[in-house]
Amino acid sequence: MKRALITGITGQDGSYLAEFLLDKGYQVFGLARQESWYQPNCASHLAEKVEILIGDVAEGVDVARAVQAARADEIYNLASQSRPGESWSRAAETLMVNGFAALRLFEAVRHHCPGSRVYQASSSEMFGQPTVERQNEETTFHPINPYAAAKVYAHQMAQIYRRSYGLHICCGILFNHESERRSLHFLTQKVAYGTACAALGIRNSPDRNERGRPIVQDGKLALGNVQIARDWGYAPDFVRAMWLIIQQHEPTDFVIGTGILRTLRFLCEIAYQSVGRDWKDHVVSDPQLVRPLETGKILADPSKAIQVLGWKPSISFEEMIDRMVKAQIQRLQRVHRGKL
Amino acid sequence: MKTALITGITGQDGSYLAEFLLGKGYEVHGIKRRTSLFNTDRVDHLYQDPHVANRQFILHHGDLTDSSSLVRIIQQVQPNEIYNLAAQSHVAVSFEEPEYTANSDALGALRLLEAIRILGLEKRTRFYQASTSELYGLVQETPQKETTPFYPRSPYAVAKLYAYWITVNYREAYGIYACNGIMFNHESPLRGETFVTRKITRALARIKLGLQDCLYLGNLDAKRDWGHAKDYVEMQWLMLQQDRPEDFVIATGVQYSVREFVNAAAREMGLEIRWTGKGIEEKGYDASGNCIVAIDPRYFRPSEVETLLGDASKAKEKLGWTPRISFGELVAEMMREDLKAAERDDVVRRHGFRTYRYHE
Repeated sequence: MKRALITGITGQDGSYLAEFLLDKGYQVFGLARQESWYQPNCASHLAEKVEILIGDVAEGVDVARAVQAARADEIYNLASQSRPGESWSRAAETLMVNGFAALRLFEAVRHHCPGSRVYQASSSEMFGQPTVERQNEETTFHPINPYAAAKVYAHQMAQIYRRSYGLHICCGILFNHESERRSLHFLTQKVAYGTACAALGIRNSPDRNERGRPIVQDGKLALGNVQIARDWGYAPDFVRAMWLIIQQHEPTDFVIGTGILRTLRFLCEIAYQSVGRDWKDHVVSDPQLVRPLETGKILADPSKAIQVLGWKPSISFEEMIDRMVKAQIQRLQRVHRGKL
Repeated sequence: MKTALITGITGQDGSYLAEFLLGKGYEVHGIKRRTSLFNTDRVDHLYQDPHVANRQFILHHGDLTDSSSLVRIIQQVQPNEIYNLAAQSHVAVSFEEPEYTANSDALGALRLLEAIRILGLEKRTRFYQASTSELYGLVQETPQKETTPFYPRSPYAVAKLYAYWITVNYREAYGIYACNGIMFNHESPLRGETFVTRKITRALARIKLGLQDCLYLGNLDAKRDWGHAKDYVEMQWLMLQQDRPEDFVIATGVQYSVREFVNAAAREMGLEIRWTGKGIEEKGYDASGNCIVAIDPRYFRPSEVETLLGDASKAKEKLGWTPRISFGELVAEMMREDLKAAERDDVVRRHGFRTYRYHE
């Protein structure tokens, strides 16, 4: 039986990946912080099936201990401070978790189990403000926030460790990927949540945004710049790509994305449309939610993944948004049972 | 009167820059780490007794890995200019200490920028980040200029790349006057003894006086663009005196191999080296047939940077700068100074006192 270690198992990607690997018959270990694991999280339902090693990726000793304990064939480094916008106010922490943790993991693998394969979660944010229309594995990085700069650090360090020590380290440069499990602080989920509130007639939402205000207040959802555009895919498709990437004989890097660019405005349109509403009646723009530096038009060129891995998305953008909205409606109905 | 704060003041660049700024009438503050041995050799000639009135040169204990010390010092000094020259700057060592290298070189730069921001000094304090030609690593074009894509090849270079980007980000996001000087190799008699140029001049001087037999090196074919540190610190200052902050490549535009450096240094002492063999078997002999240069694979790096050559046209055009000290003059000065040091050791030894043979 193959053994896998996942950092960030309590998150969206980690939990989907754990399910995927359990299905394939893997023994799955997860590295998680005590405070993440002992509260409801994306992988709570897997508690009986995975083995959790309590520790913090930002602690070198914890990482080394987990690597030694799991003796994994495959290690997926997914733990991260995952919000680029927030990285401005948490820059040092972001570098520790997104940058140094990867380095410590590579060092631990080099010393304790050089035979393990490692998957490093790189990000399309590394492209920042690209000069080419579509970005692939050869595109130059131009990070424009502390999150992206830290991800570039980890990505480049992966290259150094692969080349200098012959370790099997591969990176997936993943474009945005969403799902029902996205936390409420992410844009797509906020829109799904706002849409659900509109559908249910909730004018002041029980859940709060990163600034401590109800996400929907007086019937309005506050967003930053709606003109921004992203290449949004579906997270379960992306964890399948991670597994495919790590199965390759030679460790290399892959860009994973749908190759289609959509604006936030379009996302709002189809989300609200799916419940028969007009987004313009429910969304307001809040300049305070605009980032100090806005990421440019990043759009994947996933040719290599399509050719080499045979990977492609399984569901459409519209289908994904529909699932996310439905999930939020169900959730709110549960929370609000009796009140609605 | 302007106030400058220099991190890494005890290093080669820090000491030249301190001297330069004092000459311009600055009040110069420096941050030094507490170490078990004295580490102020390079700035001892600038030292002023704390009891002197109106001191112009002041050292503070602090560390780039200690954010509270940085915030305290910046708060106290309220500098007009910060020069971030402190770093774990040795490429080979960065493979052994990647985490410390990242902590001081990458996170260290971020800590300084954050200190400027949280102390509300964005408008007052200008920031210079010592970036490096090692960012180019596996070079994507030759020569390298400001627009050349980076391709780092060592934990040192990756850490410096983070510092480069975070400097650009803070400039663009917060309007801090912050710039990167992408400096190609710069040497001097004050260069650390484990860097290849200094290692060569020091060893040849000691070989000449019979204090050492042989010089062991790694990749003799590595090509570098070597300038003089004294020239380069002037650029660091110039970059902070412009109307708006920009990044600049600083280089001589001329390239030599490590082997050529050895030959040039040997010639300074009237030595002609005869090379035989290839690869790790390559050896250099003096006129009497003694092997004085040999290869030790220990000095090969897990991944080598083969060639670096800078194009400093932008600096020349916008800052009006060209290097004044030639390669020949640089080698001659380094050789002369190391010969003096070796002679001093020789005298000391001959008079029955103990001398030390420092190894890395």
